[in-house]
Amino acid sequence: MIMYWRIGMRVVFSMILCVIVGAGLAFGAETSKGGTPGQADLRELLNTIGKRVSEFKTLKTDFTQEKKMAMFKQKLVLKGRIYLQKPNKIAWHVDSPLRYSVLITDKLIRQWDEDTNQVQEISLTKNPVFQNVLGQLTVWFSGEYGSLLDGNTVRLVKRAPLVIEFTPRENNPAKKVIKNITLTFRDDQKYLQQIRIQELSGDVTTIHFMNTLLNAPLNSSSFEVKGRV
Amino acid sequence: MFDKYFPRLYTFVFQHRKWVLGLVLLATVVAGAGLCATRYNGNLDLMLPPDKDITRSMDFLRDSSLSDKVIISLTLTDPARTKKDLFAAVDQLAASLKPPLFTKTIAGFSVANVMEEFSVLQYAPQVLGEEDLASLDSQINPETVSRKIRGIYLQSLRPESIFMSSLSRSDPLGIKMLILNKLRALPASMGYGVNIEDGHFISRDGRHAMMIVQTPVPMMDSQRCKELATALQDKIKGLPAFVTADVISGHLHTASNERVIKRDIEVASIIASIAFLLLFVVLFRDPRVLFVFIIPLIAVVWAIHIAAAFEGRLSYLVIGFGTSIAGISIDYGLLVYIAMKRGADTAQMVKLAKLVTIDAATTMFSFFVLYFSLIQGYHQLALFSILCVFLCLLMSLFVLPLTLSWKQYPLVPAPTLGDRMREFRWPAKLSIGVWVVLTAVALYLSLSVTFDSDVKKLDGSEPGILQAEERFREVWGGKSNQAVFVVTGKSLEEAMEKNDRVCREVSRVITNGDFTSLAQFWPSERQRAENCARWDRFWKEGRADKLKGLIGASSAAYPFSDQAFAPFFDGLYTHRIDAANPDGMIAQLQERFVLHKNGEYRILSYFPDEQHYVDALSGVTRTYSGTFIVSGKAISASLAAFTAKEIRLLAPLAVLFNVVLCWLFFRNWKEALIALVPLVTGMVWFVGIMALFRIPLNIVNIVAAIVTSGVIVDYGLGMTYEYRYNLRIGTVIAVTLSAATNVIGSGALLFANYPALYSTGLAMVICMASGYLSSVIVIPSLCSILGTSRQKTVQE
Repeated sequence: MIMYWRIGMRVVFSMILCVIVGAGLAFGAETSKGGTPGQADLRELLNTIGKRVSEFKTLKTDFTQEKKMAMFKQKLVLKGRIYLQKPNKIAWHVDSPLRYSVLITDKLIRQWDEDTNQVQEISLTKNPVFQNVLGQLTVWFSGEYGSLLDGNTVRLVKRAPLVIEFTPRENNPAKKVIKNITLTFRDDQKYLQQIRIQELSGDVTTIHFMNTLLNAPLNSSSFEVKGRV
Repeated sequence: MFDKYFPRLYTFVFQHRKWVLGLVLLATVVAGAGLCATRYNGNLDLMLPPDKDITRSMDFLRDSSLSDKVIISLTLTDPARTKKDLFAAVDQLAASLKPPLFTKTIAGFSVANVMEEFSVLQYAPQVLGEEDLASLDSQINPETVSRKIRGIYLQSLRPESIFMSSLSRSDPLGIKMLILNKLRALPASMGYGVNIEDGHFISRDGRHAMMIVQTPVPMMDSQRCKELATALQDKIKGLPAFVTADVISGHLHTASNERVIKRDIEVASIIASIAFLLLFVVLFRDPRVLFVFIIPLIAVVWAIHIAAAFEGRLSYLVIGFGTSIAGISIDYGLLVYIAMKRGADTAQMVKLAKLVTIDAATTMFSFFVLYFSLIQGYHQLALFSILCVFLCLLMSLFVLPLTLSWKQYPLVPAPTLGDRMREFRWPAKLSIGVWVVLTAVALYLSLSVTFDSDVKKLDGSEPGILQAEERFREVWGGKSNQAVFVVTGKSLEEAMEKNDRVCREVSRVITNGDFTSLAQFWPSERQRAENCARWDRFWKEGRADKLKGLIGASSAAYPFSDQAFAPFFDGLYTHRIDAANPDGMIAQLQERFVLHKNGEYRILSYFPDEQHYVDALSGVTRTYSGTFIVSGKAISASLAAFTAKEIRLLAPLAVLFNVVLCWLFFRNWKEALIALVPLVTGMVWFVGIMALFRIPLNIVNIVAAIVTSGVIVDYGLGMTYEYRYNLRIGTVIAVTLSAATNVIGSGALLFANYPALYSTGLAMVICMASGYLSSVIVIPSLCSILGTSRQKTVQE
């Protein structure tokens, strides 16, 4: 099973993820040169917000992920929690509709699901997929938004609450899949309220963050996968 | 005849000494000036045998795109810096590498079209074969389909599903797994552990990036290799301080080898020169002895031009031998100088000239033996060395006396050190007994000597280059060497079709996936058309409907829509047979598998360079014409076999020539055999000592030993001649000085960093030292015991 999963991950890596997951990294491909004053303002704004958001060591938040996908006849709604400890430790626990847990650190991935009721542990160095996912999650959850400005056209949608839309540029490989990514910040602009990813296929994924606590004490059980959920 | 003509010629030269000296001086100045414009050959090819397999493999490696690549590994040294900084440095360096030295830079794959290129519905129909479809067929059943549908649902709960869930719509069965099986061997074919991120090659730890640079500079063009290395270093200096770069390229080896050899020759020449000067000036305290020292240098300068006129560009290795040959050839001048200082009369001078000539003849014949070798480099070495020795002989006999007699010089008062050495008596029986025992021990040890046929060990590249390669291997893997299976064809399609057939045949021989072929992920157009037709038949035979029904039944338990997998069923028959997109990943991968040279296409497949694979695949090459294997290990094995065959011819020939010349000189078997004692000692002790210290023989030190045989036999000739004719013209001291100069000349090579030169020096030092010891200890003892006519006088 693990082998099968590994192979699956490599397939994705070889064929797809270098395009899709690489999107965020590709954002950094070429810094925009000679941008308009608006872009310069946005860079300033993103850096300011990024600095504000990134001023935490730990994060604890509930989330609801809504997936409006052509594959499903109705919205797929996931509920769960995210625990984050900087620099590279994230636990993603799904409580419904099925229980699933994954811990991603800078060295390994450990995951469990109630379907198999088994814990799988895989070295991260052998799984570039999760390496990239971790990179992306780190960017979004940790507030390093400045890097997203590169490779994307950034638009300020709304100031209160602050809503910023990222649209991949032509030279960005993510352009083939992603239509845009929209970040909505909390009123205090200290953290995200929502991330919305719109794909070219029409699929939309929205993650709402609720009950977010910054610098909340986290114990080791927050990062346990089996029996935690 | 010698007695008749030598005095005449000697007198003639004396009568025209100003002209002779003027001509020698003029020719030397012209030849010396010409050295500045002389170009040398820095590659080892000349030293390789003309074996069909070896030549083809070497030609292949030279012509292949494998040899026109420079690989650069960039490393982030500052932990605070990120991949983004690294990629920026890669892009900066890539942009700075421009023609004419750098023609193309690949820092990663253009990933924009990867998804389309490898899409399940476009790529799979073209590459999946009969067995793959059978595997798919086995999955179209309720249990498997149900498991897969559940897997797709579960995947939508995972973090990565943010990007990936919708992709399952066009691949409910996980056909991408089958595609992966086609692609997974690709990194192995590169021999490196490479990931791709943001269009860049990156290491698994994310701290290193790799770029591949194509250059039109031939690896064997040492001058342009130097230019390339310098240009590359200049560009690398422009990288940010937090990035270092390791360059991996055969070009650096060529440039470095030339640098090392040049430095070695300089060092060896300086050491030998200083040692000679100290030896002569301290011992003789006569500035005229410098003429003796200059003779071999003049001979080398002349010989370079004469040999080049016949052979074209001379090899650096051959010139490297010049230092040793200078040491060898100094003997003749030395013998003449000592004899003249001792006031030798005409009769003694004739005898001396005879001895010197036969000494030179034995040395020349030892080089002449190399003409019986099939290796072209040995012919060049033989010509150059014979010229050196011959010119030294002529100058020692006819030019040196002119310089010595320019002004009157004082004769050496007797008794000298040489006289004391001559009169010293080693206990005869004990000396011979010890010699017999030691030689027997050496003979016994020599049975366990090993032979190293790996020519790579003769590579003298500087440590920096080797350390960079070691670091590269630590980061990117690639420790196991790859061999190449080559399929040729007049057109690309013809070669690819043959390659498809070969790949099918090989899959029956190598079943563990160690054979990486283009056919596995991009077969010929004909094969892809066949695969597409088979794919269409497969689904039209009711399997598409069956799968649709099974998915409908399985997905009822989950909120899948009716159109959840419509992209898969709608796209089943929309595939096309296209050539690889020239900007796409397949085209870039193809570059590693396809060569086009001189109107011929070559498709390369890769496998571990292990003997059992080579043996197994050799059978396939016999079945398919126009196919062959290029294996480093096979080259080494052929080289070993060839060298062994050559040695079986050259070694007996060298011995035979020496034996014949000894007999011709003495016309007496007893004395001829005594004169051969140093030769036997030198050869047996050399092999024995190498075995004792576990130093393997190689193609270079064996040739050096064969060449040295002609030198050490001179010691035996001189000593036996001295004791037989009671010459008293300083032969003992001359032989001693001769051995000292020879050992200095070849010993200077022990300071060489270039393995081939070091190996040569080691072999020569052992042979000469042991040969000399036996000549001064064993020969007088044998002469006294066997009653050789020691009391005979020169008047006889």
